[in-house]
Amino acid sequence: MGLIVKTSARAIIPLIGIFGAYIVMHGHLTPGGGFQGGATIAGAGILFLVAFGLDEMRKHYNKNLYSALEGIGGLAFLGAAMLGMGVAFFYNTLWHNGPFFNGKPGTLLSAGFLPIMNLAVGLKVFTGLVSALTAIALYRRWKS
Amino acid sequence: MNGHEILPYLIIIPLFGAFSMPIVNLLGRKAREAWAVIITGATLAVGSALFYSVWENGILVYTLGAKSPLGQANFPIRIVWEVDLFGAIMVLMVTLVGFLAVVYSLGYMKHDTGLDKYYTLIIILELGMLGIAITGDLFNFYVFLEIMSIASYALVAFRNDTWEGIEAGIKYMFVGSIASSFILLGIALLYGQYGTLTMSYLAVKLAQNPTVTAKVALALFIAGLLFKSGASPVHMWLADAHPAAPSSISAMLSGLVIKIGGIYALTRILFSIYGHSVSMKTVGWVIIIFACITLIVGNAMAVIQNDMKRLLAYSSVGQIGYILLGLGIGLAAYGSQTGEIAMAGAIYHTFNHALMKALLSLIAGVVIHQLGTRDLNELSGLAKTMPKTTFAFLIGAAAIIGMPPLNGFASKWLIYESSAIFNPILGAIAIIGTAFCTAAYVKVLYTFFGRPNERVMKARDPEGSMLWPIIILAVAIVVMGLFPWQISDKVMIPAVKALENQLAYISAVLGGA
Repeated sequence: MGLIVKTSARAIIPLIGIFGAYIVMHGHLTPGGGFQGGATIAGAGILFLVAFGLDEMRKHYNKNLYSALEGIGGLAFLGAAMLGMGVAFFYNTLWHNGPFFNGKPGTLLSAGFLPIMNLAVGLKVFTGLVSALTAIALYRRWKS
Repeated sequence: MNGHEILPYLIIIPLFGAFSMPIVNLLGRKAREAWAVIITGATLAVGSALFYSVWENGILVYTLGAKSPLGQANFPIRIVWEVDLFGAIMVLMVTLVGFLAVVYSLGYMKHDTGLDKYYTLIIILELGMLGIAITGDLFNFYVFLEIMSIASYALVAFRNDTWEGIEAGIKYMFVGSIASSFILLGIALLYGQYGTLTMSYLAVKLAQNPTVTAKVALALFIAGLLFKSGASPVHMWLADAHPAAPSSISAMLSGLVIKIGGIYALTRILFSIYGHSVSMKTVGWVIIIFACITLIVGNAMAVIQNDMKRLLAYSSVGQIGYILLGLGIGLAAYGSQTGEIAMAGAIYHTFNHALMKALLSLIAGVVIHQLGTRDLNELSGLAKTMPKTTFAFLIGAAAIIGMPPLNGFASKWLIYESSAIFNPILGAIAIIGTAFCTAAYVKVLYTFFGRPNERVMKARDPEGSMLWPIIILAVAIVVMGLFPWQISDKVMIPAVKALENQLAYISAVLGGA
C-alpha cells in the first residue's frame, strides 16, 4: 500500500486496539464483550496485514505463539467456569463469595467471573481470526 | 460413584483436551498423540461410569450455575443437562468408538501433516456428540449439534490435497448448514411461541397449548434431522463424505455422527418434547415412509458399488433405514408392546451398528493404508496375505447382515418381529433390504477369498495400534452376540420405558413445581 495508507494505519492501529480492549474489559457493563472486542482487535491486525503487506506480517506473526494463545484463551474460560465446581459447573463463586470481582454492580471489578471470561473469549477470538486471515493470505499461489 | 458429580467431566475433559492441544503440540509428536489417547481414554472412563450410574439410579439431572434449575420463579431458567438411559447408552457408544478411533489414528494418520489440528478436531467432534446426548436444553442442543457438524465438515475435508476430500467437504458443508438452519428456525419458532428453551418445560407448555407453530417447528426439526441422519432422499452427502474422509473419521461419521445428530436427536424431540402433543401415529407413519425408502435405496445402492468405502457408506444409509423403521413403528404403535419392541430394536441396533460399522470402516482404512486402493476389483485374495483383517471383516459383515451368533441378529430380529406384527408389508420391505445387504457383503467377502491379485501379494496385516481397535471391536461384537436377550431385557427395554415415560422426564427437572 502507499505511503498515506501506511502512515494512517500507524496512527489508527493503536486506536483500534485500545478501543477493542475497552470493549472487552467493559463487557459486563456496556454493550459488547469478548467476541465483539476480540473481533475489533483482530480488525487492527487485519489492517496491519493489508496496509503493510504479507512480508511484514510474516515477520511479526508466529504461528505457534498464536495457536498457544488461542488455547490459553479457551483454558482460561474453562478454568473460570470450573471455579465453582463445589456447587455446580459455571457457578459464579467469585461473585457470591469473593475474594475479588465482587464489587458493587456497575463498577469495573464486579460481576464475578464474567470479566475473566470476556478477556479469555477476546483473546481467543483475536488470535483465532488473525491466524485464520493470515493463513488465508499465505495460501500458496493463485494457480495451484 | 455419584453420577451427579461426574456428569460435567464428560464435557470438561474433552474441552480441556482440545484447548490444551495447541500447547501440548509444542512438546512434539509423541506428546500430542499420548495426550489425545489420555483425553479420550479418560472420557471413556467417565462415560462408562455415567452409564453405570444412570442404569442403576435412573434419570440424572444436572443444572449449570446453581443447585436447582428453577430460579425464584417456578419454571426453569438455567441450562439443564438431563441423561436418561437412552442418553447414557449413546454416551457409552460415543466414548467407546471415539477412543478406539483415536488409538487407530496413531498408526493410520502418521503420514499426514497438520495432525495437531486433526486430534483437536476429533476430540471436539466427540465433545459435540456427548453434549447432544446429555443436554436437556433445546438451544444447548443446537450449539452442540453445530460443534459436531462443523468439526465433521473440517474432518471430512481434512486431506485437502485430494480433490474428493474438498468436493465431499463442500457438499457436506452446504447441505449440513442448510439442515442446521432448519433446526435453528424451528427452535426460534418454538421460543417465540412458548418462551422457553428447556425441553421438559417446553413439553409442559406444548401439552397445555398445542399450536400450528409447534407443528411447523416439528416439521422443520424432522426435515433437518433426517438430513443429518442421512435418510434417503437426502443421503447423497453421506455417500460422498464417507469415502473421502480418513477412515478413522468415517468410522466416527458412520458409527456415531449420523446416529447422535440424527436418530438420537429425533427420538429425544419426538418422545420427550412432543410426547402426546401431536398425533404420534401421523408422525410415526411419516418416519416409516422415509425409513422404507431409505432401507431399499441404501441397501440396493450398496450392491452395485465397486468402491469399498462407498459400499460401506451406502450400507450405513440402509442400516439407518432399519433404525428409522424401528423408531417409526415405536411412534405409530406408541404405548403398545409392539411399539416398545420396535423402539428397543431401534436403540439396540443403533448401538450394534456403531460397533459393526466402526469395525468395517477401520478395516477399510487398513486395506487402503496397506494397498493404496479402495477398488474392490483389485482386492481379490486379501485373505491370503491379511488373514487377521479379513477374519475381522468376516465378523463385521456377518454381524451387519444379522447372523445369529453375533449382535446384529438380536437387534434386527426385534425390528423384523415388531414390523411384521405391526404391518406385514413393512416386514417384507425390511427383509428385502436385508437381502440386498447380504448380497453386497457376500460380494465383498467373495472378493477377499478369491485368487490373490499381484497387488495384494505384498500386503501385510497392519501394526498394533491399528490392529488392536479392530480386535477390540470384533470381540465386543462377538461377546454382545452371546448375550443378546439379556442385554435387550436389562438395558434396551428399560431405555425404551424411560423414553416413553415423558412425565418422569418432565418431573425430573421441574421437581413437582
